[in-house]
Amino acid sequence: MNLGIRAILYSARKWKKTLLVFCLLLAITTLVLSGLAIADAQEEQAEEVRGTTGASFTVERDISTGGWNGNYSTQEFMSEDMIQQIAAVDGIAGYDATLITLPRIFNDKGEELAHENYSFYNYGSYNSQYHELFLSGRFELVEGTHITDDMTNSIIISRELAEWNGLKVGDTLTGVYYPENNTPEVDMEIVGIFDVVADKNDQVNMYDDASYYAYSSYVFCSMDAAEGLIKGWGEDGEGISEAYYYVTDAAQLENVIQEVQSISSINWNNYKITANDEVYQNISSALSDTGTLITTLIIVITAVSMVLIILILSMSIRSRKRETGILLAVGIAKPAVILQYVLETLLIAVVAFPLAYLSSKQVAGTLGTLFGKAAENVIVTPEHFMLVAIVGGILLVAAVLVSSISTMRLKPKQILAQME
Amino acid sequence: MNLCKRACLYSVRKKGKTLTLLAFLLVMATLMLTCLSIQSATETANANIKKALLGYFTINAKTLENGIPEDTVSQILAMDGLSGRYTLRSYTYATYFDADGNLLEINTEGAAQVPEGYENAGRVVANSNSQEDSYFTDGGFEMVEGNPITTETGSQVLVHEKFAQRNGLSVGDTMLLGNVEDKDKTIPVTVAGIFTNTEEQDSIGMAPSYDLYDNIVFTDLSTASFLLYGTEGTTNVQYGDFYVNDPDELERIMTDVQELDGVDWESCTLTRYDNDYQNAKESLEGLQNIVFIAIAVVSVICFLVLALFLTLRLRGRVHETGVYLAMGISKGSVLLQYLLEVILVAAIALVISFGTSTAISHQIGSSLLSQVTSETYETVDLTGESEAAQEPTEDLDLAEIEVAVSAEDYALVWAFGMVLCVASTALAAYPIMKMKPKSILSQMS
Repeated sequence: MNLGIRAILYSARKWKKTLLVFCLLLAITTLVLSGLAIADAQEEQAEEVRGTTGASFTVERDISTGGWNGNYSTQEFMSEDMIQQIAAVDGIAGYDATLITLPRIFNDKGEELAHENYSFYNYGSYNSQYHELFLSGRFELVEGTHITDDMTNSIIISRELAEWNGLKVGDTLTGVYYPENNTPEVDMEIVGIFDVVADKNDQVNMYDDASYYAYSSYVFCSMDAAEGLIKGWGEDGEGISEAYYYVTDAAQLENVIQEVQSISSINWNNYKITANDEVYQNISSALSDTGTLITTLIIVITAVSMVLIILILSMSIRSRKRETGILLAVGIAKPAVILQYVLETLLIAVVAFPLAYLSSKQVAGTLGTLFGKAAENVIVTPEHFMLVAIVGGILLVAAVLVSSISTMRLKPKQILAQME
Repeated sequence: MNLCKRACLYSVRKKGKTLTLLAFLLVMATLMLTCLSIQSATETANANIKKALLGYFTINAKTLENGIPEDTVSQILAMDGLSGRYTLRSYTYATYFDADGNLLEINTEGAAQVPEGYENAGRVVANSNSQEDSYFTDGGFEMVEGNPITTETGSQVLVHEKFAQRNGLSVGDTMLLGNVEDKDKTIPVTVAGIFTNTEEQDSIGMAPSYDLYDNIVFTDLSTASFLLYGTEGTTNVQYGDFYVNDPDELERIMTDVQELDGVDWESCTLTRYDNDYQNAKESLEGLQNIVFIAIAVVSVICFLVLALFLTLRLRGRVHETGVYLAMGISKGSVLLQYLLEVILVAAIALVISFGTSTAISHQIGSSLLSQVTSETYETVDLTGESEAAQEPTEDLDLAEIEVAVSAEDYALVWAFGMVLCVASTALAAYPIMKMKPKSILSQMS
């Protein structure tokens, strides 16, 4: 009877025992696979948290290296090309720039809109969702959509302004900046309405330009429209002087900035970059603590699993001392006996490992429905499986070999003479 | 031979088996304890993240006749859930005099108008810490001489470089701040420092004279309180920003604040600022869920493995059971013997596991600590082309993460471990116990 048949026969005869070992292997492998998947998911989740911290950098014209004509800086403005070029760098989630105008705005009947003091404070914007006022939560879009860089003549206004003037999304407004300088009238369609959340009465503001206008008089229009408003004015005192770029992963901010800085078509002598990731810096140590803790947990789980497998196998081999003695006594070579044990174990593992792969996928799926989004990241990949199968296989063989040493050292007679 | 003795003798005789069981239980208990201690540590880490996202609310009591009194501020600070970090602010206008009561000159160049009565007046900004004021944090103001104002009392002012030059003031000099309407109400203050602006004011031509950067004066809260409310010896403020530990509790805390006596809350505006937290909230909950998932998976599988292992162990003793039963020992006492053996070993394992898991937790804890200390602060230095705008991270007073086995966790593992050992042994023994001794012994071993 060759050892292959012997191994199969033993497993089939002692099916209850085989089943138990199988279940143990299955459970432990599932544990390790889930652990690996969880470690990966944690990594992704931490990245997502970092993404929500709004880490950004600002590119602005460097006043210190430009000229000064007495009233304003003559440093060159940022060109649209340049802004888009930077926005195309990998790792940038979104961007915005502002071009401020102070237009008068009329409805489609030609009547000037009712508003609070002064005129309107108009931010020309590429992607208004990335405007500081929206990101900081001071304004909140409640209707319609934000301005995006593919819009041409769009505007978003405050709820108060809409209410006072009976405006709604889809209405058209006409803006004009300096009619005495022959700037054109620009028609804009209302695409969104925002709510003012912040407390404008808080005197914390620094009396910069914008602070003299009521929040209800703030409007955001697409960059094209803002450029249209100043067209023909001719003066070089207006243009985009700052652009803001938000990165997907705050931990990568430095790399992204470096990449931006390597864009050779931009004359970096005229512009400077400022990084802003205060929120990320505040939470980064606590966040990496969480990461370390989870990673440690997974390492502990894996290590413990290895120990468990060794313990279980050695126990099962040790309980077969008598059998080993008999096998040796009937003249079967020691290597053949060991090989039989190894074969039996591997036989179980061959079934248990793939099943663990499926079951851990099942576990991940169940968790997905229980915990929603977070758990969807818990994915058992084929790489995890390969890793576990290879390391697990080696471990099993080693465990069997080690636990049979004590028995194998003895002569069959000694073994059989031992009391069971 | 009573069953206790039998259990002991068996455990001693079968040293190898007992040791394997001990090792097994020890490993399991250690794993569970370590898991639980890691879980509570991640909870601390999570609370730290929440705290570091700096959720706060602002009380605007500008319209109140007496602002927020000192008592109310200390009552708010004593409330549960406040992180202790806060900023008090007041804003007013004052006429400037020198020590002898002569009017000081202000800058009017670039002012949209010089309002009547404000010919020698400017904006007075009082903040718990002048360095934290938005003029300094966002507006590009910088100290050039002297020290910032960090106390609530002390009758100090910071003046603009140009204002100091124009009026021949230097650090240490005394000047008077006078109520704009009631010129007799003056308060002497010492010039503690001189600041300048690094960015041009963009509202030149729009701002009235008193808002021009040159004419701004920073002072302490009690001086502002005197100018605003005429208080002496007590400090009332117009605004307060109060930071909380857990932004989720903002709503609750703000409601509680509005129930405090002594302030007409109806006339105040309370605004919550927790945008950073709201942005990160969902992802953060995801992270916390992942930890929970990990612990849940480990616990379930641990129990499963333990039950299977005990079953496996007992199945190897079918023969022995048959012999006991044949000898006339009752089924109950045989079962009890098995239970006793397991419990004995489990008790030892659980006792030792406290030591091992404490050691492991300690190791994890110290690796976290060394990670913090080795995390040197890197500023973005790009060959001088970009400004290194980052300052070393503020001290947010975060809780230290402690990875330790708590008494509750230990008790929990004891209870669950014992119940599980008993249950799985009993369950595994059940099919054997059902059989007659004869049928057991006639089974091939």
